[in-house]
Amino acid sequence: MITLGTALAFGGAAFSAALAGVGSAKGLAIAGQAGSGVVAEDPDKFGNVLVLQALPGTQGIYGLLIAFIILLKIGAVGGAGVKELTTFQGLALFFAAFPMGIGGLLSAIAQGKVAAAGIYLTAKRPEEFGKGITMTAMVETYAVLALLISFLMVYGINI
Amino acid sequence: MLVPMKRLTLYALKDDREALLLALQKDGNVMLIQTDDKTSLPGAEEVTSQLDKAKEAIHFLDSHGAKKSLLAPKLAVPYQQFLLESKGGQQAMDEAENLASQIATLRNEGATLLSQAESLNPWLKLDIPLEELKGTETTDCFVGYLPEEDLEGYLKATEKSLVDINRLGIGPEGLALVVIAHKSQSQEIKHILKEHNFTEALLPKGTGLATQVVRELKTEAEKKEKAALELESKAKEIAGQKDQIALYADQLAAKGDRLANGGTETIKTFCLHGWVRHDRTQQVETAVKSVTDAYELTFREPKEGEIPPSVMENNKLVAPYESVVELYSRPKVGTVDPDLMMAPFHFIFFGMMLSDAGYGLVLTIALFIAMKLFKPQGFAGKLTMVIFFGSISTVIWGAMFGGWFGLEWHPLLFVPMNEPIKMLVLCFGLGAIHLVCGMLIKVYTLIKAGDIMGAVCDQISWLIMFAGFFCMGMAEGPIGKYLALFGAAIILLFGGREKKGIISRLIGGLLSLYNISSYLSDLLSYSRIFALGLATGVIGMVINTIAQMLLGMGPVGVVVAVLLLIGGHTFNIIINVLGAFVHSSRLQYIEFFGKFFEAGGRAFVPLALRTKYTEVTK
Repeated sequence: MITLGTALAFGGAAFSAALAGVGSAKGLAIAGQAGSGVVAEDPDKFGNVLVLQALPGTQGIYGLLIAFIILLKIGAVGGAGVKELTTFQGLALFFAAFPMGIGGLLSAIAQGKVAAAGIYLTAKRPEEFGKGITMTAMVETYAVLALLISFLMVYGINI
Repeated sequence: MLVPMKRLTLYALKDDREALLLALQKDGNVMLIQTDDKTSLPGAEEVTSQLDKAKEAIHFLDSHGAKKSLLAPKLAVPYQQFLLESKGGQQAMDEAENLASQIATLRNEGATLLSQAESLNPWLKLDIPLEELKGTETTDCFVGYLPEEDLEGYLKATEKSLVDINRLGIGPEGLALVVIAHKSQSQEIKHILKEHNFTEALLPKGTGLATQVVRELKTEAEKKEKAALELESKAKEIAGQKDQIALYADQLAAKGDRLANGGTETIKTFCLHGWVRHDRTQQVETAVKSVTDAYELTFREPKEGEIPPSVMENNKLVAPYESVVELYSRPKVGTVDPDLMMAPFHFIFFGMMLSDAGYGLVLTIALFIAMKLFKPQGFAGKLTMVIFFGSISTVIWGAMFGGWFGLEWHPLLFVPMNEPIKMLVLCFGLGAIHLVCGMLIKVYTLIKAGDIMGAVCDQISWLIMFAGFFCMGMAEGPIGKYLALFGAAIILLFGGREKKGIISRLIGGLLSLYNISSYLSDLLSYSRIFALGLATGVIGMVINTIAQMLLGMGPVGVVVAVLLLIGGHTFNIIINVLGAFVHSSRLQYIEFFGKFFEAGGRAFVPLALRTKYTEVTK
């Protein structure tokens, strides 16, 4: 039977996957728009542009990760059947998904903007491509920290 | 390590210049220095424009059926043949350019004709020939468009006038009308028409009925298209000559390189300056001698203010990691080359971040085959080797953490997902070692430069304090606490040693002590190793779980499951290889290099044969 706690846990998983995924989609879109402009001028730069565009994609994957770990924890994945959580357990899992959801959303959009700037940098100076990648990867630090803390929180909740 | 460079000066006769530049280009060891005045030789601009034409021709032929497979090896050309400018290539290039421009013109003309035919669409109902659309003895004729909403107003205004209106079709600008007005009232009618937004139509010249003219235009356009298609099939025939054009393009590029810098000159002689590796001076001398013995060639150490390019040289295992350093910035001349220290850490971190032995095996085999087939050179070659080494590391760490294609199987160490605290301790431990290595390199650099105070007060003091913290955590007893306090004291007392006065000195020391937060954030950065490894593992697990659910759904499910497994795991490998490379490199750039690296080195770009389409064999 699905208790309020279980429902809240589902809510947390949904929150994490959805927001982080939307963030990645938006980040990739911003970078992709910049990339299309650059490739229109010089099609040979496509490889470099694609690498830069792909970088904000990781937040969506991290969000999915946390969602999956939550689902694993409450038994929704695999045949055993969903566990019955107390309200507070469910609420704790819901909050545990917060850092990844919101952190993933906002950091991915921000990273998309830096990736777009990196794409313009590569267009003007193709040899400085590595610097563009490094600057874009700097933003990822906060997505990684969010992933870590969400993971530790989910791990620390005893079902 | 950074190779010491020597500055070269060559005086020779202008008559020998071409041969000398060829010999130096074949040797490929000298980077010519641009002096302030323009030194490019005559003909350089023409070569550049020819090269552009050649590239255009190659693009044109590529889009018309030239063989363009990524797997084909580069065309091998012996050096002697490379010297002779390919006449066949030039001819083929001119032919291709001709065809391309002819096809473009034909297509343009065809498009114009078709748009003219389009514009006649509203007038198809006209039952008099186009050339008769003019006034007669007693009438004037207006041909044009009136917007639909203005029609009523116009009709009302002209109820009592001597005017006839013929409505034909509808065009984009409104109703197509032919208005015939009696000459006595034609000015009035013209005004009324204008008031109602009438626009005159410019019909294409033609004889005969509108329908006939449209048919003629369309046939013309078809003829042009047919001609264009014929030319295109002709282009397909010469597509096989693309190789010759490619060779020609490479020859032009090499010529352009040679003509770019001719040095400073007098009436009969010229002088070149350049940079050479100190161990290649003999080779350069031999190359020059092979052309002429009327020369003056000297090598000297760089003077104050002259900055040679940075050339890194390392043993075979470490050399590929120069590409990682090059992506960031070359080290400034005279500073330390970080490759040797960086390589093992990059190797380890990459493996920990990808952390799936199955993926590592697939990657190793794939890259091995790719390197045998494509034989990548230069920067791309080094990068491929870095990822190849990384994939070997992945197999090792995957086996340690028990990750095999997303499944958990006999970990040699422990499974990070089940014991995150242990994993974090491992990551932070390796990170601490990484940071300490960076600081030790800085200590070495400072001591070599003679700044003992700097080495002790800014680096060793922190190392002592960290050692103290470590002991406090590990061992019983007060030794840790005393070590930490000792280190902190040195920082406090000497951190602000630049300042005058005891108070400001202590405040300076306190501010230096505050830097501990930056060390802490550096250390925390290493947690990404855990996060990335986790990401790989969990995505693999997701793919496996979904595939398992699909397997139970009958034969269709089995097919979809297999496709999902192959596609999903491939996707996982690609995404995580990118992530592992970017983040392993990032840890080097920010945390490691931040301790000691000095950026700003220039690239060494010698005058050499740089071919895009062919491979010159000596």
